[in-house]
Parts: sequence; C-alpha cells; structure tokens
Amino acid sequence: MIELLMTVFSATFFVTVIRTTTPLLFATLGGLISDLSGALNVALEGMMLISALTAVIISVYAPWYVAVLSGICAGAMLGALMAFFHLRLKADIILVGFAVNILATGGTVFALSQATGGDKGTSINLQSKAVPAVNLSFLDAIPVVGPTLRSLLSDHSILSWLALFMVFAVWYFLYRTPYGLWLRGVGEYPAAPEAAGINVTKVRAWSLVASGALAGIGGAQLAMFNYIGFTRDMTAGRGFIALGAVLLGARHPVGAMLAALLFGIFEALAVVMPNLFNWIPGEMIQTIPFVVTVLALILFSYRAQRARQMRTLTKI
Amino acid sequence: MAPLLEAISIGKTYPGGTVANDGVNLSIEAGEVHAVVGENGAGKSTLMKILFGIEQPDRGELRLDGKPVSFANPREAIDNGIGMVFQHFSLVPSFSVYENVVLGSEPRTGIKFDRQKAIEEVRALSEKFRLAVDPLPPVGQLPVGQQQRVEILKALYRNARILILDEPTAVLAPQEVEELFVAVRALVAQGRTVIFIAHKLPEVLAISDRITVMRAGKTVGSVNAKEVTEQSLATMMVGREIALRVDRAKGRGDLACEVKALKLTAESGAPIAEDLNLKVHQGEILGLVGVEGNGQAELLEAIAGLRAIADGVVYLNGEKLNPLSTLERRELGLASIPEDRIARGLATGATIAENLVATRLADKRYVRNGLLDLKAIKAQALKLIERYSIRAGGPGYPVGTLSGGNMQKVVVARELSEQPKLLLVNQPTRGVDLGATQFIWKSLTEARDGGAAVLLSSADLSELLALSDRLVVFYRGKIVAAFVNSDDLTAETLGTYMLGLSRQDPETMRAALQ
Repeated sequence: MIELLMTVFSATFFVTVIRTTTPLLFATLGGLISDLSGALNVALEGMMLISALTAVIISVYAPWYVAVLSGICAGAMLGALMAFFHLRLKADIILVGFAVNILATGGTVFALSQATGGDKGTSINLQSKAVPAVNLSFLDAIPVVGPTLRSLLSDHSILSWLALFMVFAVWYFLYRTPYGLWLRGVGEYPAAPEAAGINVTKVRAWSLVASGALAGIGGAQLAMFNYIGFTRDMTAGRGFIALGAVLLGARHPVGAMLAALLFGIFEALAVVMPNLFNWIPGEMIQTIPFVVTVLALILFSYRAQRARQMRTLTKI
Repeated sequence: MAPLLEAISIGKTYPGGTVANDGVNLSIEAGEVHAVVGENGAGKSTLMKILFGIEQPDRGELRLDGKPVSFANPREAIDNGIGMVFQHFSLVPSFSVYENVVLGSEPRTGIKFDRQKAIEEVRALSEKFRLAVDPLPPVGQLPVGQQQRVEILKALYRNARILILDEPTAVLAPQEVEELFVAVRALVAQGRTVIFIAHKLPEVLAISDRITVMRAGKTVGSVNAKEVTEQSLATMMVGREIALRVDRAKGRGDLACEVKALKLTAESGAPIAEDLNLKVHQGEILGLVGVEGNGQAELLEAIAGLRAIADGVVYLNGEKLNPLSTLERRELGLASIPEDRIARGLATGATIAENLVATRLADKRYVRNGLLDLKAIKAQALKLIERYSIRAGGPGYPVGTLSGGNMQKVVVARELSEQPKLLLVNQPTRGVDLGATQFIWKSLTEARDGGAAVLLSSADLSELLALSDRLVVFYRGKIVAAFVNSDDLTAETLGTYMLGLSRQDPETMRAALQ
C-alpha cells in the first residue's frame, strides 16, 4: 500500500497520467462538440483507431508532424463520411457510428497486414516515428522549485500541450463566438436557429468533421507517443470512455478535461499497479478504468436527478 | 399609392393534391393591423408560409412596395423586412433572451460575439416598442406571454417592417392578450405593419383595422373592422349562418362523481393541487376554469387514471376509483377526451378504424378469440365517420393525414360512441375550426343530456361560459371560487379569480359547490 502511495505521489506518475489523459481528452473534446450540436458521435473509437494506423504508416515515410496531420485528416474525413450518411442520406447516427467502428476494427487489421507484409497484430516491423516530447530543462535554473517543476512539466508530448490549449480554444469557440452559439442552439432546439436563417445541417456536418479531427489527434498521440507503433484494437474502448467523460464533464470543456483526467488517472493506475501487486491478475487491473466509468456515470446521473428535484422544490 | 404588400391570385397545390390556395388576393396597407381569418384548412397558414418564403406559390405574384418579389426561403423574406412569429415558438430554452434575439445575426468584434452590444440593442428595442422583457434570464424560465415578446423582438431586431403573427392569442391568458394588443398598437404607432392570423372573432374585431376572410382556399373578401359584427364575420367564414349557442341542461340528476380532499404531487414531490373537493351530477357540465398549469389538467389526469393520487378519494357512482387501472375505470363508464389529441388521444400512424376501436379491445363485438374482427371494426368506423361527419378518405386512412378538427372528431367519436357515465374533457376545441367546434359542442351536450356527468377544462373562457352549468376556478392548485353559470357571469369576473386577484368567501363557494 505504501509503495502504491509512493508511486502515485511521484512525478513519474504525474507524467504517466498526462500521457494517458491526452488521447482521452482529445476524444472527449471531439465527443463534446458533436454532442452539443445534437449528433451523438459513437464512432470516436473507430475514428481514433483508423487515425492511429494512418499516422503510424505515414510516419514511416514522412516527418512526425505530417503523420499527425494525416491522422487528423483521417478523423475529419470519417466525420465527413458520417455527416454524409446521417445528414444527406438520413441514416440513423448511432448505426452510422457503429458502422464506422466495425469498419475500423476490420479495416485497420487488413490495412496493417498490407502495410507490414502480413503481420496482423502489430506494426513492429515498421520504422514508425514518435511525437517529440517538449524538453523544459531550463526550468532547473529556477531556485528551490526548479527541479520539481521540471520533473512535472518537462518531457510531455507536444500534443499534451496542444490538448490543454484545445480545452481553452473549444471553450472560447463555444461560449465566446457566434458560431459556438449557433452550434449549441442547433443541438438544443434546431427549430430556433433554422427560423433565424442558420443552416442547421451545415452546422451539424462541420461539428462532426471537427469531432473526427479531434479524435484523430487523439489517435495519433496514442500510436506515436503513448505507444510507438500500432497494435490491433489499441484504442481499447477509449472512444466510449470519452463519451462517458462528455456526460460526466457536464457537457462543458473544462468539465470534459476534469473527467478525462479522472479516467486518465485510473488508466495510469492500471499501468503501474501490475508491477506492485503481481498477485492480482493483470486483466482485473485493466478493467479498472471501465468500472470507474460505469460508477462515475451512475453517480453523476443520481446527482443530476437530485439537483433537479431540489430545483423544482425550491421553485414552489 | 401602391399597397405595402400584395398577393395577387396566389395558387398553391400540395404534392398530395390538396389545393391549399386557389386564387387568393391579399392587400396590406402600410401601418395597419390586418387580420386574416378563416376556418382551419381555409389556407391561411399556407398563404402566410408563402409570404414568408417557406412555401413557393405555383401561380400568382407577390408585390412588395408595388414591385414583384419572390422569396426562395425565409432568409430572403427576412432580408426584405418581413418577420413571422409562429404559434410554436422557435426559441432555444437554455439561451438567454438576448442570445435568442440576436441568434444568427450576432453583433461581433472580430470573431468574438459582442455580448454587451447585444444586450444593449435588445434593451433599446424592448423600450422602443414597449415589449418589456429582461434580456438576461434564460427563455425557458419565462412565461409564455414573455416568450412571445422575445419572438416579436427577434423579428424587430432583423428590421421587420411587416410582422406576421400566427394565432398569437391561442396560448395566452386574457390579461396577456391585452398586453399583446398594447404592444401591437405600439408597433403600428411606430410605422410597422402587422398581419394577424386568428380564430377568435372578438379579438380580431378588437385589434384589427381591416380583415380579410378566407374560406376553402379562396379569399371571400376584405372588410373594415368597424363595419362588421362578429355574426356577419362568422357567416362569411363558414358560408352559412351558424349559431354558437348551446342549450343549458334542463335539470341535473343524482350525484355521479365525487372528489374528496384530493392531493396531487409532481414526481419531484412538489405539490400540484391540494384539498380538492368537487361534486358532479348526472346531466351537468362542470367547468374547470384556470390559467393553464394551475392543476385543472392534472385533476382530469388523476381521475382518468393517468396520474397517481397522493391523497384523497375519487368516487364514481359510489365506487372508489383510486385502486382501479385506467382500463377498469373505463369499464365503469369513464370516457376521456385528452388535451393533446396527437400525443395522448390518437395513434397518428394507425388508421381511423383502428383508432376508433382502440379503447374497446376487450369488447366481444370487435375482438373474438383474441383476433380482431376487421369486418365489424370497419362497419363501426363507417358508422361513426357518418354520424360525426369526419371528413376523411375512408376508415383505412391514417389519422395523421386528417386536419386538426377532424382528428378531434375521431377522438370525440370514440369516446362518445357509447354513452359515458363520467366524461372528462380537456381543451375539446383547441386548434379546431368553427364548424367542427359547433359540432363538438353539440356532441358534448348530447352526452350530457344522455346522463353523463361532464368535467370540462378549457383555456377558452367563452367556451367554458357557453357550455358549463357550474364553474369552479383553480388558482395554484386550489379551488378559489365556484359559480352557478348565468348570463351575468363574465370572463372578466372569472379572470380576476384566475389570476388570484380576488377571493370568494367560503359560504358562497360552498353553496355553488354542492
């Protein structure tokens, strides 16, 4: 137990948490945008998976940033594909989302074996690149707190810093720009923006594209920093955890960040615990993030219900 | 000088073959309040949709300031200074008033939404046009009357010169209607023009300068409001003399239904109604008066078995209703015409015949050995369509394809096809045209004369005054006044009790409650 606490309160654990949170946070922000526009994106999982593979394969031939960009494009294109089926051909969004997920599980394995020349499990024999970490060793120069600061803030993926910035950017977009107002209006009561002359379909389509792009960065981070290289089904439910995090974060960007952090912490625990408790089966430990997701959602909906009751009672 | 807005021999046929407009002419002068009246299905809504660019006419021409125009979509109509307030508001509930007003045309600095400027502009508009609304609270928390003002502000913010109001009074309490009329007059005083779609003739006569009457897709004529009476307008609308009068009950029979110390609560536990005591006798109509949301609708739901009773008892002919299911209550002779015919009264996707027997699936005449007797069901449907003059293609047509008035007739036909002992009626003629209203009123009084005890709730006070033998007024979940109906009783008297402005002394109330 003491060992566990020592591990949890170490700088290395903090760095692990940031690493596990980053892909989740991108996916959560993506889920948030499409959810607020009224189109529930259940395909985050598949989008991440396809983007991860795209980024890995491109990184063999091109610099890391081109690979990340290609991951973003892959996600955005899947978002556009969903928009086409859902908004133009009027297919049910949940079914379209699951179609993308199924396409992703099968399609990535197929594409992987084509790219690696037959390996259907991992991209281990591809020379894929990593996203660089940001080195902040100059922080050492600050007296007293310098070394601690450096051990906490240095060596994160450049995309982790981008994720933090995106929380702010998404918040600014949603609550400070007219387009954010449109998007939220479209999600809550489409008849209103429609009557105001706003093209509801267009707003939804763009939010699906943005949602895909964000999930795409998450996928790239996963396969080019958290792990170097692609493994089949490597997203392991992160896309669905992200959907839970959207709700748990009360459909707000900052809430989304906190919820993603919570799940990130438990994922990091699942990473460090097998070394400390070798008598617990590894599979049990790996279920922790999912169990926490379910518990958190139950708690959240219970509290939301209570809050609603309190409100109606005080009104009368 | 050319009229501000003109529609010349407009024709519109919908893909299904329905001729909605057939040579309609409308001419609106600048600065007037112009009412367009007509029964449901007369083509008013279609004409307004054409004026606002939602629908395109097949024939005819629109002229604005004497110049021909055509609007491909609402945006173009808005850009030409036409605004429309629909019966169902298009407001985002969680957005604040000012956000709703500026949505789609927000003031900006760079890419930033300039909230301060938006708030100021909305304040200025609401002062200029005497539409008092606080710009800051979320729209969902405002009463309906204020939401309507937000809608009007929305149109004015987009510089509407011509404002189309689609049945604006349908959702308002009498006092709110007065406030709306004050605002309409302020609009006209500032040079705007208002087109006012309506059903209720007294209101039309009170507010408008000119009136265009439509019937069956054609314009019957335009008249000055000062030169017509309610009766002559009604005749123009329907094309025949109609009498919106009903005979009162000749005398009442034994006690049929009694409500004792009834208490109702919302799911959250908040009280909706308390200490309700009522008696309804055979052969009388008891009117439940009140602004919507004061417990009348919930009382009817509770008696029908659609809502749990927190405390108290309901008796029907001496039998306790509380423990019985909805179906068991119906077997005792309870019938119910619910408020929302689409959500609760009918299955819109099912056929007329199916809807007409939907409450009688335990009846041997229509169901034998667990199988539907389609022949009997069809015969019954044909009989009821004939008796209630439901205008429809046939018993096999989905109910959803009928007009509002005919849908309501299907509900009425089903509930009254067998003489009920207790009849619950909520908003029987909401959104229903004059002809159908007359018919439904007659059906209700026939059920009453057949010995039914009737509980009637309606937002339309004139309907309550026309039909009820006794009236009770609800305010905040309590009965605050009771009256025996007479010609001296006016909507204004009821209004003061409805808004909680005056209270009746317990003695008078007790006497009228017996």
